[in-house]
Amino acid sequence: MKLREYEAKNVLRDAGIPVPAGFLIKQADELTGHLDALGEAIVLKAQVDVGGRGKAGGILMADKNTAVATARELFGKQVRGLPVHEILAEQKLDIRHEYYLSVTVDRAAKAPLILFSDIGGVEIETTAKEHPGAIRRAVAMPLMRDLPPFMIRGLAGKAPKEVGPIINRLYRIFCEKDALLAEINPLVVTPQGVFAADAKIIVDDNALARQGISVNRDLSEREREAEKHGFSYVELGGTIGVIGNGAGLTMATLDLIGYYGGNAANFLDVGGGAESERVMHAVRLVASVPSVKVIVVNLLGGITRCDEVAQGIIAAGISQKVIVRLAGTNEAEGRRLLSEKGYEMLDTMDLVVKKAVEVAA
Amino acid sequence: MIYGDKKTGILVQGATGRQGEFHIGLMNAYAQQVGGRGVVAGVTPGKGGQQVHGVPVYDTVKEAMRDHDIGAAVIFVPAGAAADSIMEEADAGIGTIVCITEHIPVHDTMKAVSYAKVQGSFVIGPNCPGLLSPGEVKMGIMPAQLFARGNVGVISRSGTLTYEVVDELTRAGIGQSTVVGIGGDPVIGQTFVDVLERFKNDPQTKAVVLIGEVGGNLEEEGAQSTDIPLVAYIAGKSAPPDKRMGHAGAIVEGGEGDATSKIARLMKLDVPVASRPSEIPGMVRQLFCSC
Repeated sequence: MKLREYEAKNVLRDAGIPVPAGFLIKQADELTGHLDALGEAIVLKAQVDVGGRGKAGGILMADKNTAVATARELFGKQVRGLPVHEILAEQKLDIRHEYYLSVTVDRAAKAPLILFSDIGGVEIETTAKEHPGAIRRAVAMPLMRDLPPFMIRGLAGKAPKEVGPIINRLYRIFCEKDALLAEINPLVVTPQGVFAADAKIIVDDNALARQGISVNRDLSEREREAEKHGFSYVELGGTIGVIGNGAGLTMATLDLIGYYGGNAANFLDVGGGAESERVMHAVRLVASVPSVKVIVVNLLGGITRCDEVAQGIIAAGISQKVIVRLAGTNEAEGRRLLSEKGYEMLDTMDLVVKKAVEVAA
Repeated sequence: MIYGDKKTGILVQGATGRQGEFHIGLMNAYAQQVGGRGVVAGVTPGKGGQQVHGVPVYDTVKEAMRDHDIGAAVIFVPAGAAADSIMEEADAGIGTIVCITEHIPVHDTMKAVSYAKVQGSFVIGPNCPGLLSPGEVKMGIMPAQLFARGNVGVISRSGTLTYEVVDELTRAGIGQSTVVGIGGDPVIGQTFVDVLERFKNDPQTKAVVLIGEVGGNLEEEGAQSTDIPLVAYIAGKSAPPDKRMGHAGAIVEGGEGDATSKIARLMKLDVPVASRPSEIPGMVRQLFCSC
């Protein structure tokens, strides 16, 4: 789950990384009491859970006199379709140079990867393409509590001396907060020192509980409902609903829909042990998406009981057509139950998907 | 076969849990069928002295090692305890550690895999179905009835998609040497590179099917590392950016790890890539004709 900017900056501040003076406000009038602390130039940043908010008008500049009115304007806006409930009001920094710093997981090294770039304020992917020489990288050992000084010196290069401790502190945050990404972009040099002007922390979804996070904000309401039942669910917007078991098989089913010229409405992995009640909830959930015209059920597994799955599909009692491919134990019984109720059961995933694309067209 | 054979004694961590108990039964049914040793010991702290399907349960891995010749371990414990299990087995000297458990925090996996490496152990998984060498050994949860013995290795990040492909291969008369599910997490112990190296030293394996998915670039890295004839399939062409597709590791990030560029890079390495799972057997057969 992605932390909001103010949450990430609180984490940084607590760890001793300088951040600009700033206040979180929920209404424009709250700003009045903070104006003296913020100084003449003020940045107002909408705290919405969406990327590219600067380009979408979610960041506005103001001065002491216009700040309250500008905040009111920002509260009245929608940023990429999302209402603004919180604004981070910050002092505007006198920026002389921008660096980039991040810690992430290197899949190949199976270890934390630290990236430092002499060019900040742009996405690291852009720098990697246009100025690959500006990026320095180092791989840590997962069992290291601190980065060795040689590694920090190598990363920081000719950057001001305050940068070294910031690199190590961000590495520690990455480890302590179960982060998949801890990023400061830009890390800025000002006459007053070095500051994290923006911060992004993504916490591992599998570690939310031990990080004290009870609700995963990155999920839509339907995705959260799916999570309650133990499903993995992603909305895609097409007309063909998909229910599979196992992430790979479900993804392959979606791809096959694309191959035959259809559009998948969703990804839903029911997980292991597809008993009738789980299947019923899965079918109802997918059927509740308004765009869904037909549902493909593709379940395979040695221990999946086809009669249970069939009962779940029938119990869901939905209006859309359901086309089923089942392989497992009690296949004949499952087929009998489904055909009695007029459901179509086909033998391979190619056949079910082809059929569903025809129905949806 | 790679990682183990009929003679490999297996230890199961989490032996008294629902999953552990169920799969000890299936693994030993398979061992009986092929004349292998199968699961010889179980471990659940606090449950030492019990038996599961006739398999003795111990409190610690070291106690089990004292009484039995053990070459591999399969882990079924909950996510919060899995990294600890990996490290306990590595510390006790078990060489092959298969971790079935899903939802382990990545930082725990990084630490456990790193510790296992220091101890000289190999971790397969986590979040994987384990491995199966037809006619030899099953370590994990793969449905054995779909498999047939032969010369084609399979390496996959997925579970059920692997069964789908194995089923297609078997129906087409193409048997398998060893099928390894390496796991769907961003950080896993044995990657495509590691397993391909094993296959290279395995006289039984003549070709390998790589079943990959979106996220990372370990498939390409694997393909580049070997000269074994390969056929690949990549799932997730329809995966939108920044969304996790079920597996924690299946995510397109920062414009990297998407299926289209993965497939392009594999094809550049002259690896034939199937656009549907059902095309794989035909492409494997073609491999044998041309080489």
